[in-house]
Amino acid sequence: MKNFFTKTRYIQLASVVVMLVCWKLLAVHFNSPFIIPHPEDTFMTVLSLFTEPDFLMVAGSTVLRGITGFLVSGILGLATGILAGLSPGFNAFITPMLVTVRSIPVISLILLALIWFNPGLVPVFIAFLTMFPFICTNVSDGIKSVDRGLVEMAKFYRVDNRRIIAGVYLPAIVPFIISGASSAMGIGWRAIIIGEVLSQPRYGIGTHMQNAQTFLNVDAVIAWTLIAVLISFAFEKIIRWAEHKIVTWVI
Amino acid sequence: MKMSLQIRDLCKAFNDVVVFKDFNISFSNDTITCLLGPSGCGKTTLLNILGNIVLPDKGTLVGFDNKLFSYVFQDPRLLPWKTVRDNIEFVLSRDLPVSERKKQTDRLIRQVELEGFAGYYPSQLSGGMRQRVSIARAFAIPSDIILMDEPLKGLDVALKQNLIKWFLHIWKADRRTVIFVTHDVDEALLLGDRIIVLSQAPAQILTQVEIAEPAGNRNPEKELLKNTKQAIIDVLGKI
Repeated sequence: MKNFFTKTRYIQLASVVVMLVCWKLLAVHFNSPFIIPHPEDTFMTVLSLFTEPDFLMVAGSTVLRGITGFLVSGILGLATGILAGLSPGFNAFITPMLVTVRSIPVISLILLALIWFNPGLVPVFIAFLTMFPFICTNVSDGIKSVDRGLVEMAKFYRVDNRRIIAGVYLPAIVPFIISGASSAMGIGWRAIIIGEVLSQPRYGIGTHMQNAQTFLNVDAVIAWTLIAVLISFAFEKIIRWAEHKIVTWVI
Repeated sequence: MKMSLQIRDLCKAFNDVVVFKDFNISFSNDTITCLLGPSGCGKTTLLNILGNIVLPDKGTLVGFDNKLFSYVFQDPRLLPWKTVRDNIEFVLSRDLPVSERKKQTDRLIRQVELEGFAGYYPSQLSGGMRQRVSIARAFAIPSDIILMDEPLKGLDVALKQNLIKWFLHIWKADRRTVIFVTHDVDEALLLGDRIIVLSQAPAQILTQVEIAEPAGNRNPEKELLKNTKQAIIDVLGKI
């Protein structure tokens, strides 16, 4: 069994402790739960949120929206990214669209989505639009970086195109997909929660954050934030675990 | 030797650089022909034209119709995410039943003596082992002609000799026409039934030597081979 307490772990732990100390100092300085609550009170709020009857519905709805947005943008991003990587014409066609989507402020997208969709769908739509360009661009970059020698070898040995895509291109772009998924997820969770704050679906972390903010429950706002961070962290870990399981050929 | 494969009046230029101009060369079936020559003389281009990777500007290829090729590249070009077994199996026709593909792959792995490494990835193998996999892959498909582009370049002498041994071991059991490009006179002397020395581009044949003694039984210290080597070195020295 690997030693969990490595030097890096100690440094990471020190970083967390420094953040907690700063938080505590600010809480002591302002001495008001309506501005900055004490960390220990906030952690108690987190624990109490876990025991609330609709906690699983609230957090689960946000997670489900994230997964839905990720899957839709993942499938479309993979397909369009492969096409863009293989075809310079398609790449020229899709690049302005990706640049436009990436440049539009998230708030503009949310305001439009609020007009177009029901509240539950708004965060999914926002998640899709924020994640899709990352995945598509990473996949397309991955395809362009595939070793031409390997493709030439496969073609020389008359391997059919379907197997060249499955056996040469797809494994070669796995690290790019993982990196794209990681970046997309990181930004995606933020977008989903902003979408929930503004669209106010019945269940959602963003909805509860907004409600807590309305009643000046700062500790609840921070507690939901911590839960959102934990969810994001858990998905990042899942992505890295998947990478470790898939990319077995690198030593 | 009966020359059944011929290239006639080959012309090929890359922009202003003329690599071949009315070049003629022939090869005989089931023998090893080594092409020697200076860098940039068109040896690899010739292989690529034969393998249909590069198109000639002009010229006729006689006897190459419907021939199936294998290629042993200078860099083994193994798929890093596939094991030794899967790399060899990758080039096999899907028309073959799975059991047949496995049987064929196992046989080749045995022939290059990599049984214990069948499940290893290329990154876990030495350079020589990777090239052995590449050689096994070339023999995996029922090709008529194997093109080899300096596959031993960059390997140390002992490893080269071992690879030549592995290669001849498989080739003797399953003879194919081999066109082997090299810079190394010793490699050519150990492998080639025929050695052709090419000039600087536009390439012309400067000399060609046939070696009667079967590859694999040759002793480079023997007087005849020593003299042949010296003659080739003399020709190369004048380029």
